[in-house]
Amino acid sequence: SGEEGIYPHLIKFCEGHLEKLNPKSRALRKEIPVATEASFSKDEWNQIMDDLRTWAEETKKSETLLKQEPVFDLLKEKIPPVRSSISFVPLNEKSFPKQRTNSSKHVLPRDYQEWDKFDVEEECNKVDGVLKIDPPAILNTGHPNIKRAVDASLLSQQEKFLLASREKDKGNEAFRANDYKEAIAYYSRSLSILPTVSAYNNRAQAEINLQHWHNAMRDCQQVLELEPRNKKALLRRATVHNHMGNFQMASEDLRMVLQEEPNNATAIQLLSKIERKLSDCLPEQQSKGKKILIEELEEQEEQRACPVQPSQPVGGEESSAAPAERGDMGNAQKKPHSRGDGGPHSESSNSHHGHWRGKGGTSDKYKVTEESKVANGSSKRGSTASVQGDKRSGVKGATGGGKAEESVNLDAPCGALPPHLSRLKNEGNLLFKNGQFADALEKYSQAIQGYTDSGIDSPEDLCILYSNRAACYLKDGNSQDCIQDCTRALELQPFSLKPLLRRAMAYESLERYKKAYVDYKTVLQIDISVQAAHDSVNRITRLLIEQDGPEWREKLPDIPMVPLSAQQHRREEPPSEEVLQARAEKATRDAERRAEIHFSAFKQEGNDFVKNGQYQEALGKYTECLKLKPKECAIYTNRALCYLKLERFMEAKKDCDTALELEPGNKKAFYRRALANKGLKDYLACSSDLQEVLQLDANVQEAEKELEEVTVLLRQSLANTAQDKPRKTVPIKEVDGDEDMTDVPASESSCTRDNINLKPSSAYEFEPQLLPQYLSDQLDGHTISFIMKALDLHLLGKNPNLVYRHLHHLHTADRFSVVLMLLEKDERRYMTQLFEHLSAVESTEFTKGDVQNLANKYI
Amino acid sequence: MSSPLSKPQIIAHIQKSLNYTVFDSKWIPCSAKFVCLGNFARGTGVIQIYEVQHGEAQLIKEVEKPKPIKCGTFGAASLQQRHIATGDFDGNLHIWNLEAPDVPVYTTKAHKEIVNSIDGVGGLGIGDGAPEIVTGSRDGTVKVWDPRQKDLPVANMEPVGGETRRDCWTVAFGHAFNDQDRCVCAGYDNGDIKLFDLRNMSLRWETNIKNGVCCVEFDRKDININKLVATSLEGKFHVFDMRTQHPTKGFASISEKAHKSTIWQVRHLPQNRDIFMTAGGAGNLHLWKYEYPAQRSKKDSDGVNVGVAGSVNLLQNVNLSTQPIASLDWSPDKQGLCLCSGFDQSVRVLIVTKLNVA
Repeated sequence: SGEEGIYPHLIKFCEGHLEKLNPKSRALRKEIPVATEASFSKDEWNQIMDDLRTWAEETKKSETLLKQEPVFDLLKEKIPPVRSSISFVPLNEKSFPKQRTNSSKHVLPRDYQEWDKFDVEEECNKVDGVLKIDPPAILNTGHPNIKRAVDASLLSQQEKFLLASREKDKGNEAFRANDYKEAIAYYSRSLSILPTVSAYNNRAQAEINLQHWHNAMRDCQQVLELEPRNKKALLRRATVHNHMGNFQMASEDLRMVLQEEPNNATAIQLLSKIERKLSDCLPEQQSKGKKILIEELEEQEEQRACPVQPSQPVGGEESSAAPAERGDMGNAQKKPHSRGDGGPHSESSNSHHGHWRGKGGTSDKYKVTEESKVANGSSKRGSTASVQGDKRSGVKGATGGGKAEESVNLDAPCGALPPHLSRLKNEGNLLFKNGQFADALEKYSQAIQGYTDSGIDSPEDLCILYSNRAACYLKDGNSQDCIQDCTRALELQPFSLKPLLRRAMAYESLERYKKAYVDYKTVLQIDISVQAAHDSVNRITRLLIEQDGPEWREKLPDIPMVPLSAQQHRREEPPSEEVLQARAEKATRDAERRAEIHFSAFKQEGNDFVKNGQYQEALGKYTECLKLKPKECAIYTNRALCYLKLERFMEAKKDCDTALELEPGNKKAFYRRALANKGLKDYLACSSDLQEVLQLDANVQEAEKELEEVTVLLRQSLANTAQDKPRKTVPIKEVDGDEDMTDVPASESSCTRDNINLKPSSAYEFEPQLLPQYLSDQLDGHTISFIMKALDLHLLGKNPNLVYRHLHHLHTADRFSVVLMLLEKDERRYMTQLFEHLSAVESTEFTKGDVQNLANKYI
Repeated sequence: MSSPLSKPQIIAHIQKSLNYTVFDSKWIPCSAKFVCLGNFARGTGVIQIYEVQHGEAQLIKEVEKPKPIKCGTFGAASLQQRHIATGDFDGNLHIWNLEAPDVPVYTTKAHKEIVNSIDGVGGLGIGDGAPEIVTGSRDGTVKVWDPRQKDLPVANMEPVGGETRRDCWTVAFGHAFNDQDRCVCAGYDNGDIKLFDLRNMSLRWETNIKNGVCCVEFDRKDININKLVATSLEGKFHVFDMRTQHPTKGFASISEKAHKSTIWQVRHLPQNRDIFMTAGGAGNLHLWKYEYPAQRSKKDSDGVNVGVAGSVNLLQNVNLSTQPIASLDWSPDKQGLCLCSGFDQSVRVLIVTKLNVA
């Protein structure tokens, strides 16, 4: 090396060897020059410098903000007072301080002399003050002393943020030092200042480490409320579930995590563990499996985890599943399944309609493929609850196309919408995409509200907004509102595809198949390629055949081009019994399905008997039907017909009443009740029923004929008995009378109030306290001066008290102060005159002071 | 050592030469500005305010004071006011409003001799309770001040009459985790370290580390005392685990000899109490991380709890200069931003990277 005593090779070798033996050896520590730009790659360096620059800029801004904030002295009140006394703590300056202490303040350690002077009482008091209790070691694990809440009410947002993150840091440090209780204390402090996701998350982890499962669970829920798809929280909740024995829920959470981040090692590991556990305990759980699953899903509602779009490709199966009670996936999934079973039955019962069979067949084929998927899924679900993920991924793939349209850019302009509305809309889209339907709903509603407020004329955009909101409603299972929104959208933009499709789905979910059918058909007319509509039409066709028998087509309203007119015919159609079915549990559903088959069979037979005139037999069949389905309106009307034919009017009337209860606008029921009433000789009721019928449908000729007949009968009966008829008009007359009373005829002084449509007979009759009421918001300068003049010229001489009372009440009228300001000079003069005159008058009712006070209000 | 860039790196971002001797430098909280305190060659004191702008330190304000200023702290000031408390060569304690630094907002003759060290608590949202300032002086006293009380200290720790007065080199607050509890730690030239309990006005603990104590600091002021680092003249520093106090053995500690000369300063990272930096007399900086042991306390043979010290890992060491680095301050706002000044009459802004992975 050239230098004496320095051997670079030897040094290098020794260092190399030392590094192998003890890589942390002090001898290996080398001074290195401080790092410079050259020590970093360009990217790294730029990143560091950018970071610093942005920080410098941000701090500058926040500093100016800080300076602008008012300095409030309130803070000072929180601060404890100045330490009361000047306390001297003597030091013991000795080379061996531990050996000699002579201070009474000194606690540890004591020398012998001090022990001589030991005062037990005093020491005990001291001990109470500090942690110095007899177990001689002082453990500074003071977390019980840490306040868990911080009063941050007086702090600005920025200070709060700073403080909260500092408390969180303290928590993190305590956590790293394995002092979880302290960590929790500090996280709680942080949260009490400003709730943040990370603090909740960290506290959850600390609680997990302390095995406080319930607290941990609560924190995870909090996080998920703030941020529904937070991976950490899901993972932690899964851990908690795992420990609490809820393996199903744990695996649900883990799947969610894996969906977000497919390679999360922890999640994969935990999941495989849980699945093993699950399969172990499955045998004894199997019978209960389904129930647990459902409960769990309801509980997890807040997660809003279905990323499914109501786009076309998802089609039939989804539309039937989605609107069912949310979270109740088990049922929803079962539904198409049971329908599938029902299909062949109805087929066989309607087998004499060959040409429809063909179509039904194809629809069945569709069903089968779909069903197999679903059935396959549900069986899996039973065992591992894994289906949600599977299904979702499947659906996701299918919806890929539909999803693309939902832009992520929140500020992307939307049509003619102003920026804030388009932002709302985009936010809504995003939320929708994330499965937060309720939130999306709110955004869209806001957008719609904003739209109507701003008065923009752009029906396309409003239509889209309505349509999107409808999608939210559909997702939330609120089919009624969905239909409403779709209808609105369609009013704005007739025959737009999406609203139509959504409405169809909503109708279908409400089991109003005919309307759904019409909408689907309309959709297909607009765009033949919508597969979902094809599938649904097929399915509904089958259902309608099943429901209405061979003539289902005749019962169907006109489909094409005129969907609105189609709706009007709808009223007479009985809503199907399946509304109930949607809500019923799966167990009862099976029974119902069976019942339905019997029911339609009975009904068919009954109808046949009626056609053949065998009313007694038909009656029996219908009664059977009603035993199965006591809420079927059509059956009641049919049975009523039988009763009528058999001249059992009382029963007929009763049936019609029930039918009308079920469906208030059923004109068949009205007509038949009219006939029943006629049979019972209650002509009045009969005629009113007939009038109802005619009101519903003016073209029913039988009803007209009957009405004429009944009116004749009624007149005859009227002549004999009571005069019921005029009664109807009486109340109207009474009302007229009342109105007249308020319009009191005009009189001489009424000229003052002519212009405001008030005609009290005279100022004397007129109640002054009602004056503001009469005037309402019609008051103007003209009126005031009229009143003033009238009071001054006509009334003051006769009754100054009344004048005072008028004035006393007049100034309480609406707009009075405004009008007062706008008075013209002349008018003001009248007023001053009036008050002068008034103050000149002596009265028992008011003093001069009163008048002066009043005058102050006027002048 | 295999991948040097995965370790935290210390970057000298800005270096600013000064025309005076700088004793202390401090970041102004919630800003990108810092204060330098020192003395001119002519024997007067100086306060300078700099702002970090576009990779440079811009001088914003300079005020000359009659006496050289030794030390300063923002610890007792509110975030909004950010008044700095300084101690000078004459034993005066001043509080300055940096917006109007000509007249002090608070002044008192605190000590008979130079104020070597100052620390504050109760401000900046750090530490519950009243704002208080502690000063340590060559006259051997440690005094606690409340800015709301003029002239008289609220606590005075001084040797009883007749005893030799040791030079107090360093003071630090700690244990301020609620309204009442508060501790002051003081280090003396003879190696004494004393811990005063301000709640009970008593000496809670003392020890001697055989070498003059240059700097003491708690890992955090506003938590239950957890760790204390004390640096000494001969290049050694001690880390005390303050959680378990044995009646005779006191606190468990670990010592580490790192620098070849005096360790002038130790500062804990405000964002992570287990990382700290020491500044040495040979112009070098060492970045350390404390690792907790598996169990922080155990029972000794008498069944009494005794603390267990952890270990320290060197994360990074760099050489900045040939002169001692006398002051060190982490930015409270920006993790990894650090300020140091030395006797080479310069102040440096350092960036320490990758502190999170450490």
